Amino acid sequence: MTEIGDPSEGSDAALALDFALGTLDGAAMRAGEQRLRRDPAFSRDVAHWQDQLSPLTNEVVGIAPPRYVWEAVDRELFRAAPVRAVAPADSIWSRLAVWRGLAFAASGVAAVSLALLVSRPGPAPVAVPPAVPTGSLLAASISSTDRAKAVLITATYDPSRGAVILTPAAADASRGLTPELWLIVGTNPPKSLGVIDLKDPQAHRIPGSLRAQMTGGVTLAISLEPAGGSPTGSPTGPVVAAGKLTAI
Amino acid sequence: MLDRIGAGDRDALKMLYEATSAKLFGVILRIVIERGEAEDVLQEVYITVWRKAAEFDATRASPITWMVTIARNRAIDRLRAKGSRPTTTLDEAAEIRDAAPAADTLIDSANDAKRVQAALGMLDPKHAAIIRCAYFEGLTYEALSDREGVPVGTLKSWVRRGLMRMRTVLAA
Repeated sequence: MTEIGDPSEGSDAALALDFALGTLDGAAMRAGEQRLRRDPAFSRDVAHWQDQLSPLTNEVVGIAPPRYVWEAVDRELFRAAPVRAVAPADSIWSRLAVWRGLAFAASGVAAVSLALLVSRPGPAPVAVPPAVPTGSLLAASISSTDRAKAVLITATYDPSRGAVILTPAAADASRGLTPELWLIVGTNPPKSLGVIDLKDPQAHRIPGSLRAQMTGGVTLAISLEPAGGSPTGSPTGPVVAAGKLTAI
Repeated sequence: MLDRIGAGDRDALKMLYEATSAKLFGVILRIVIERGEAEDVLQEVYITVWRKAAEFDATRASPITWMVTIARNRAIDRLRAKGSRPTTTLDEAAEIRDAAPAADTLIDSANDAKRVQAALGMLDPKHAAIIRCAYFEGLTYEALSDREGVPVGTLKSWVRRGLMRMRTVLAA
């Protein structure tokens, strides 16, 4: 640690410090990433400063993320198309360093992690997780809430893209207001999926945090809002159409 | 049998997630602020951790430092891709110190955390504030300079002097 250089202006040591702190602009940051791979001295200096800075995160209060974040990670890594879910056989062992390090760092889970590591058999042939049919499409006919029940727009949700394809089926009924799409799960308050267009077909991205909730049986609804969408986070205008999402 | 191996790795990642996700989510939220975005970033971080676990070098960094680095880099990437965001000014940052340090046994010891707090407390407040701003907001020197009306060179020297002093204090 004592051999870490004095980070005087313009020196490599200063660059390493700035890199670790994250104050370099995009191009310099990428150059630094390249250098990290081929320059051991630079990479040692960066690691030194990262270590020095990382206790700053002790000031940050941990906040439990919502459940669906893990579910999304799990789906992405272990339940997606087998080709992406499969790890190269030998990397199982190279990964052990992380788990082992954490096992020692996190006293609470140490015993369990070690037990897991010990019980794991040697490098194995490619492990193919059971294929779980995710990625199946869901669709909703979003019909007007008046007596006519005319289909206003059809919505097809494609989980692999995290987007809903909206296809208007009737004349634009937005009357100069801004249509906003809402997700309603059971009796929970509607959650905004963003403002949409009732005129043209479009792919509309679902916020990452809400994707896990796009499942069969939930309701999609459209309300008419002022320009820019609801100012409150809840529908403020009339709900003009709604429909249930079902698997197709 | 094959299924069990697959499941074993998954369990290991899940355990890692359960032990570290609150900490990383807190770090990411400090940088990107917006919750939905922070959730997306957190998801990317664990996918990256999984894919890059083979590159992790235990002789070089502690696992949590490595993961925090990935989380910060991802959060900063997201922030910069998006443009700007509401930011705290330097003067506010001097005030910001989350009410309670995270009660977590993962990072070093509680002792270390206290020593770092103490070391930061001994710096010139301007130096400590700029270090916090840079670390938690992912701002470049240029952006910090624009915002604070302090020349880039001055900011750089504050950061350097602050960190060198911190290192001396911690080494003592």
